[in-house]
Amino acid sequence: MLKRHLLPFQTSGARRRVFTVLLCLGLLVAACSKPNSNKTDSQLGFHQTIDEAGRTITVPDTVTRFISLAPSLTEIVYAIGAGEGLVGRTTYCTYPPEAQKVEAVGDTLKPSIERIIALRPQIVFVSTASQLEAFTNELEAHHIAVYVADSHDLEGVFHSIERVAEVLGKRTQADELLKQLRARVSFVAERVKSQPPVRVFYQVSDEPLYTIGRDAFITDLIKRAGGVSVTADIPGAWPKYSAESALAAKPEAIILPTGGSMGNANSNVASALKRSPAVISGRVYKVNDDHLSRPGPRAVDGLEDLARALHPEVFTK
Amino acid sequence: MITARTSEIAPKDRALRGIDGSRATLKKTLLVCAILFTALVVVIIFMALLGSEKLPTQASLCALFTFGKSSCGLTGDQDAILFDIRLPRILLGAAVGGSLAVAGASYQSLLRNPLAEPYLLGISNGAAVGTMIALVFMGAYEWSRPLMAFSGALIATLVVYRLAQGRTGATPERLILAGVIVTTFLSSAIVFVTTLMDATRIRSFTFWLLGDLSGTTTKLLWLGLFIAIAGTIVLAAHARSLNLLMLGERDAFDLGVEVSRVRLVVFIVASLLVGSSVASSGSVGYVGLVVPHLVRLSLGSDNRITVPAAAICGAIFVVVADTIARTIIAPRELPVGAITALIGAPLFVYLLRRR
Repeated sequence: MLKRHLLPFQTSGARRRVFTVLLCLGLLVAACSKPNSNKTDSQLGFHQTIDEAGRTITVPDTVTRFISLAPSLTEIVYAIGAGEGLVGRTTYCTYPPEAQKVEAVGDTLKPSIERIIALRPQIVFVSTASQLEAFTNELEAHHIAVYVADSHDLEGVFHSIERVAEVLGKRTQADELLKQLRARVSFVAERVKSQPPVRVFYQVSDEPLYTIGRDAFITDLIKRAGGVSVTADIPGAWPKYSAESALAAKPEAIILPTGGSMGNANSNVASALKRSPAVISGRVYKVNDDHLSRPGPRAVDGLEDLARALHPEVFTK
Repeated sequence: MITARTSEIAPKDRALRGIDGSRATLKKTLLVCAILFTALVVVIIFMALLGSEKLPTQASLCALFTFGKSSCGLTGDQDAILFDIRLPRILLGAAVGGSLAVAGASYQSLLRNPLAEPYLLGISNGAAVGTMIALVFMGAYEWSRPLMAFSGALIATLVVYRLAQGRTGATPERLILAGVIVTTFLSSAIVFVTTLMDATRIRSFTFWLLGDLSGTTTKLLWLGLFIAIAGTIVLAAHARSLNLLMLGERDAFDLGVEVSRVRLVVFIVASLLVGSSVASSGSVGYVGLVVPHLVRLSLGSDNRITVPAAAICGAIFVVVADTIARTIIAPRELPVGAITALIGAPLFVYLLRRR
């Protein structure tokens, strides 16, 4: 067991290997007896890497126990075949179905630090969308590495998949997955290429009116699906938006993310938009919000949903 | 002893003289209200011209003066922005501002406490809890929202009133303490109810809790306007009793005020006012505090003038605050409660220091 842990360190002679094992054991004992000293991190069994928030973090070379605090990250973990190492998830992590067998450590906004520590993860994956900055510091104070994922477009989602796979040692599986995902993305791109872009208003909630801004990865998905978000230049990811500006933007289509694991809220167009070209021409589309609100592998499902809604004429089967 | 007695009689005297001069006061009230109402109409028209989208000023004015009968060259979209989005929101702001200011003015007189205000006493929070329970458990029934908000406000009012009654009567400090206790208790209740909601809805609810006029239905708007106007009339009709109640409940009783009946009327009407405004727009803070005090500073403390004047000034205050909220970072928006609190909190400190 221990030997397998050390495999990444290619040493020349048997003597040196024995020495390394002993040194490692010694360090382990030292680390266990003095949990407050983290001097030993960098030498053996760990390496440094930079997460998507630009933080330098020290992660174990072999990760066998980890926790995901975002539904998107849980989906990534299973899609690259690393699901068996997942020891904790949030109550929102409901996909794939086998994730529901994993112990829940609370919801995305209020995970239980006690339960996380009790589960002894080597690393915890969080997403910036979950706003867990303070929480991150607390976990690191307990010597649990925290990887922060942060994607603002589809390329960013693919980058997240790649990086998470690197940390979990699933690079080959990730490459295979990404090959498939990229093929589906270019299939959509090919189909919508010659279509005029549709002006889209994406309604996150109707009362008050929330939409997507510059930093939401959905803005990029809409663009790739042959549309253009009328709020693509608004700062922030989820701005509260003026109803009159939404109407004045004359959206040709309105997307209502709804009907996923969060239930059927947001299934009506805001009353202010009743006179918009989209409503008049009947171009209001409900799209599964689980595909669109989670920057994970199913974002490509969301891309296909959007493309089919915006350009049904090129997707007839 | 003797000096104490004479100083006690003096305000009674003044109040009694106020009754004798009721005709003169009525004239003054009508004049003040006419002037303020004109100001409100001007403010509404002016604020209707401002928004995240620029509308042609002349055409908009022309359309407003014909009450939308003639489009005056506005396009269909511009017409919809002006009459379907902007004007209803402004009218809702007026209803909410009027309701909260009148509720604040009457609480201040009834409880003889210059710091009494729906938000600070936890009454807004009571209405908010009621609204949220209605939204989570009774989403299907549209009328459950204002109804539950009213019930929440009334229960919170009665609890605060009971808590404030000490052995030595209700001191201002005790009332504020009771308000703090009820407010914090209800805030925890709000947090508890939010955990029962979808994650996606929590963000919009935190926004709503700060006071937001953007999302409402036509029915709630009409209900809000009706309650604001009817409530102001009822409370203004009790203004003489409220004047006498400022002398203390026992003195008012001696002077022929049916204290318990007036108290009940004020509690119910003020709860209706707070409930209807919270149900449509969340807790807009400080309006009930700032507006009545400014009105008293400039027009004196006779409730026959203060109550109706506070209603109109409250309407103006919230309409202006909401225009700032919806234009300052356009096309994004701020909650109006943030603006009223930004103006209200410093004023509150100023009033506290003056006492």
